[in-house]
Amino acid sequence: MDITKRCDGISRRNFLRVGGLTALGLGLGNFFLIQRANANTNPLTAKAKSCILIWLDGGPSHLETFDPKPDTPQEVRGPLNTISTNITGVRISECLDQTAQTMDKIAIIRSMTSPLGEHSLGTQYLMTGYKPTPALEYPTYGATVTYVRSQNIKDSSGESLSALPPNIAVPNFTGEVSGNGYLPISTTPFSVVGNSEKEKRGQFKVRDLDFYQGLDIDRLSRRRQFVNALNEFSSAKDADTESVADPELERAYNLITSPEAKGAFNLSDEHRDVRNRYGSGGVNGIGHSCLLARRLVERGVPFVTVNHTGWDTHQNIFQLKERYPTDRNAHLPSLDRALSALIQDLSDRRMLDETLVIVMGEFGRTPKINSQGGRDHWPNVFSVMLAGGGVQGGQIIGSSDTLGEFPKERPVTPSDLSATIYTLLGIDPSLELHTSDGRPVRVAPDGAKVVTELFV
Amino acid sequence: MKKRQSVEIMSILTTILFVYCLVLPNISFADEYSSHIVPSQANTSDSTYVVDFENDLIPIFTKFGCNAGACHGSAAGRGELNLSLFGGNPQADYQAIVRQFSGRRINLIYPDESLVILKPTAQTKHGGGQVLNENEEAVELLLNWIKQGARFNTQRELDRVEITPKKQIIQDLEASIQLRSIAYFSDGTTKDVTRWTVFTPEDTSTIKIDTTTSTAKMVRPGRHIILARYLTEVIPIEFISPLNTTPIDNTNLDRTSSQSGNTTVIDSEILKLLATLRIPVSAAADDATFLRRVTLDLTGRLPVPDHVTAFLADKDLTKRERLVDTLLQSEEFNQYWTLQLAKLLRIGGQNGNSQGTLVYHRWLEQQIQNGVGYDQITRSIIMAVGDSHQVGPANFYRTTKSAGEQAEFMSELFMGARLRCANCHNHPLDKWTQDDYHGLTAILAKVNGNDQVVKVKPKAEVIHPATRETAIPRIPGDRYLASDVDGRAELVDWLTSVDNSYFAKAIVNRLWKAMMGRGLVEPVDDFRSTNPATHPVLLADLAKDFVKNGYDLRHTLKRIAMSDAYARSVNTLPENVNDDRFYSHALKKQLPPEVLADAISDVLNVPDLYGDEPEGTRAVALIDPDTESEALDILGRCVRESSCETANASTDGLKRKLHLFNGELLNARIGVIGGRLDTLIESGKFPMEILDAFYLAALSRNPTVEERVFWKQHIDDYASAASQQRVLEDMVWSLLTCNEFVMNH
Repeated sequence: MDITKRCDGISRRNFLRVGGLTALGLGLGNFFLIQRANANTNPLTAKAKSCILIWLDGGPSHLETFDPKPDTPQEVRGPLNTISTNITGVRISECLDQTAQTMDKIAIIRSMTSPLGEHSLGTQYLMTGYKPTPALEYPTYGATVTYVRSQNIKDSSGESLSALPPNIAVPNFTGEVSGNGYLPISTTPFSVVGNSEKEKRGQFKVRDLDFYQGLDIDRLSRRRQFVNALNEFSSAKDADTESVADPELERAYNLITSPEAKGAFNLSDEHRDVRNRYGSGGVNGIGHSCLLARRLVERGVPFVTVNHTGWDTHQNIFQLKERYPTDRNAHLPSLDRALSALIQDLSDRRMLDETLVIVMGEFGRTPKINSQGGRDHWPNVFSVMLAGGGVQGGQIIGSSDTLGEFPKERPVTPSDLSATIYTLLGIDPSLELHTSDGRPVRVAPDGAKVVTELFV
Repeated sequence: MKKRQSVEIMSILTTILFVYCLVLPNISFADEYSSHIVPSQANTSDSTYVVDFENDLIPIFTKFGCNAGACHGSAAGRGELNLSLFGGNPQADYQAIVRQFSGRRINLIYPDESLVILKPTAQTKHGGGQVLNENEEAVELLLNWIKQGARFNTQRELDRVEITPKKQIIQDLEASIQLRSIAYFSDGTTKDVTRWTVFTPEDTSTIKIDTTTSTAKMVRPGRHIILARYLTEVIPIEFISPLNTTPIDNTNLDRTSSQSGNTTVIDSEILKLLATLRIPVSAAADDATFLRRVTLDLTGRLPVPDHVTAFLADKDLTKRERLVDTLLQSEEFNQYWTLQLAKLLRIGGQNGNSQGTLVYHRWLEQQIQNGVGYDQITRSIIMAVGDSHQVGPANFYRTTKSAGEQAEFMSELFMGARLRCANCHNHPLDKWTQDDYHGLTAILAKVNGNDQVVKVKPKAEVIHPATRETAIPRIPGDRYLASDVDGRAELVDWLTSVDNSYFAKAIVNRLWKAMMGRGLVEPVDDFRSTNPATHPVLLADLAKDFVKNGYDLRHTLKRIAMSDAYARSVNTLPENVNDDRFYSHALKKQLPPEVLADAISDVLNVPDLYGDEPEGTRAVALIDPDTESEALDILGRCVRESSCETANASTDGLKRKLHLFNGELLNARIGVIGGRLDTLIESGKFPMEILDAFYLAALSRNPTVEERVFWKQHIDDYASAASQQRVLEDMVWSLLTCNEFVMNH
């Protein structure tokens, strides 16, 4: 599926302007013009160097995950039990038993609220912090982070650290939202597995990373040498020295030929115990996706989206726990293994402090079980989980009301969440970027408030 | 202190002058007034001055950002105060400030305790923080206004604003330029409103504005625009600073290319601006480059090798013009320009209605083939009704999902104007109002394109969101139409009338961009007075000449193709290397995805497969933009939900380059049996001959001496056949990947 195409037919003007910048026209210097300091941001220190967003596509039920309601009638509390965590008084879904033991490292916002209960709109709101409008496509977090970081690197004339792309989606990115919005296409997430390709369970095959039959590194190296020579010949008569380079060709070549970068995708490097801890089963292999995310972050990739589909549980919510007797790979147990392993692994490697882990979807589910034993869309209140990257673990922020229908305390909007995520990642929420027609747009919407309690 | 005294003296003078104006309103002081430096507003801060809500206070709200989109000007307002964007609706703003919440924002007894004072000066909690100082002149005006009863008090209307300078050529970057703004009112009065005019550079990195003195300083040379905003008026100011210190002489140029007298306006206008900017022009492109460029631009194909050889050998001085004529009359031109216009018209975006797409595309091809004027094509499209499976242009009304979207699409397509901003509020940078947007929508709503058979429904209506009443059909910026008739004929008459200022300019600007790599107005669908053309006289001339010649696309394309500017080399000089819009050198253009896919197939002489189409089908001939094709997935597609004018078609560059290295697009085809490489090897050609053949096919030229030297180091005549084949494959791969191949240059 083409990510620039969406079923609602909203025409997507891709505002690309940056590519044509020259001394005559536009300047980059003022992309960083911060017009007004956000009053909320001052004392908060940003620790996160990178971010892993575990996107539960379809809208995970808050009641079956991080905000169970054990004391409500059967048709609200649903078929699953709850379990205590290593933080006294905090209970979560029984299926998240391993995650419960890392609760001291986790913060849960139980009072997320949004008016948008449709997949595409909700996804756009949660992934960009802006309510969607037909007038402008907003960039997703990964694109903004990529863009701002690359500008910072340019400013300090440093080079990118890794041959890997800075914004990666595992196994691919959701089709509901343009990855880059109004930012250059180069900031869009790089999908590890092309949408068209059949994925084998737990296997990642990055398209076109392996040599074509009959080719080897010597042939590729010679081809690169030839094409560079041709580019130099044709630009020799030109005063523009920059026209010689083909940065994308170099990036591609470096990725193909860097054993380290290429090796990131090779999960068999990991000890079997590690792979098992993350879990290899499950639909779309969330365990191996999270393991790959860790390997990428370890190699300096700033933003990884783990896209896990199938959370749109209109029927039989119990299938989140098991689809048949002895099923260990249903959505909740798979998530539990992957998430707890990821947090523990990052912690063991002393990477958790600088890696922000977010678990969320586009909305929650209806508090009342429907006639088919499932739950429908419910954006009025839902939960988001955060860990690492300067987040103070062991806390619950806000709460939903008795039946899990609406926020009871401290409502947090997706806009607020975006200001928080950017602040954690060291980006001022009031930073202004520009669309192609010069319209200044803040990275997080005006009025968005940082959830300061989250910070260590 | 001294300065302050002089200001006071001046203010007394101004007051006298002002009073004089009031006494003798018939005498116009405009000229004298604007040529003297008069401190503005000195009179209005006098407590006897009667404050005028619309003309005195709204500009304050604009100046301090109160009614900007990020604050109270946003559609939903902010903090329960909702102002119209940039003060577009003063009556509503007055209601909001004075009447809303039982008038709690105004305190007539204790004026300085009014919320409208306390909030912006941050004496009480204000979400936007402090935007005004208590001793600010603006606060004084606000206070005086409340003391006077907080009345609307607007007896005059703004006629126009005159900004000086309008265009400034700057030799010394250090110079501060005083900007001035004089308002002319309907009652004959004028006022220096420099203080209350907002000056914003389009690009803040090029010009710095000192807001307290209203002076501008250029930071970088070039041509830059400042927008001046006062009330509803937005006026562009052009700043030009030469890029080089010494004057240049572009008069003594190689004029081999131009034969037709028509080109003079194009070239004289371009050279005139280049002289002002002191940018020298690059040399003329050689024959081989010109042949490749114009063949790609007009037919979307590379010239065939035999044609290259023949053209280079041709000694006739008129060969370029003959070439252009031949190309314009070719089948290939029809095919390629049908594709170009099909993208513009978004043919194929009709919700997978393949029959509709087919007849629409075929119809368009017929028009191009028969040389039908663009005005006629437009008329047929706008007036179309009937079964969209049989009547091609009827699919125009099935392109978008609502009348509003159709109005946006149509204004961008035929007027080059973005009416879309005027959906929710009057266009902040242009004259378009919500009446224009919903008026055009009302005309188009009378055509029902929801079903296969497109029908006129004269009774259909739309609701104007501001008035909540039926929107009156309206030709944008022109006049209202009767409510219950089909207004399309009037609309198309207006659009295609000789003096319409949008229609012809919008299309010739697109033709210009297709040939020259950049529109005279850019973006091409964003014509407005605040986004002036780089070469306004040239644009006007192109449009006039286009109209005079029967709206003939070929005529204008030929005019551009025969200009010196078109025929310049892409190679830059140190003095013009930074020029990306004044045409001192030709601009490189990325080959469109379909053209590139065809070019690869042509060079390799191995056809590609597209969906179920017969073998040999060219990518540029595909009617369905979603036809299955790995090549187009990699190289980019134009999904016809937009007109693909903003270069969004290409896929992620990294993915594409990875595929070129390791994917099938090139690797599976370079050495294939029966392909060009295989045929040349089998026929016993020497490696260097094969090299020459590929240079001719891919780059439309022979290798240079240096290139031959380079290739000789790598191609060994005595190597084994296998190793030679590998080197040649790598050579072909690099030719198909290099910048010179993937660009039209």
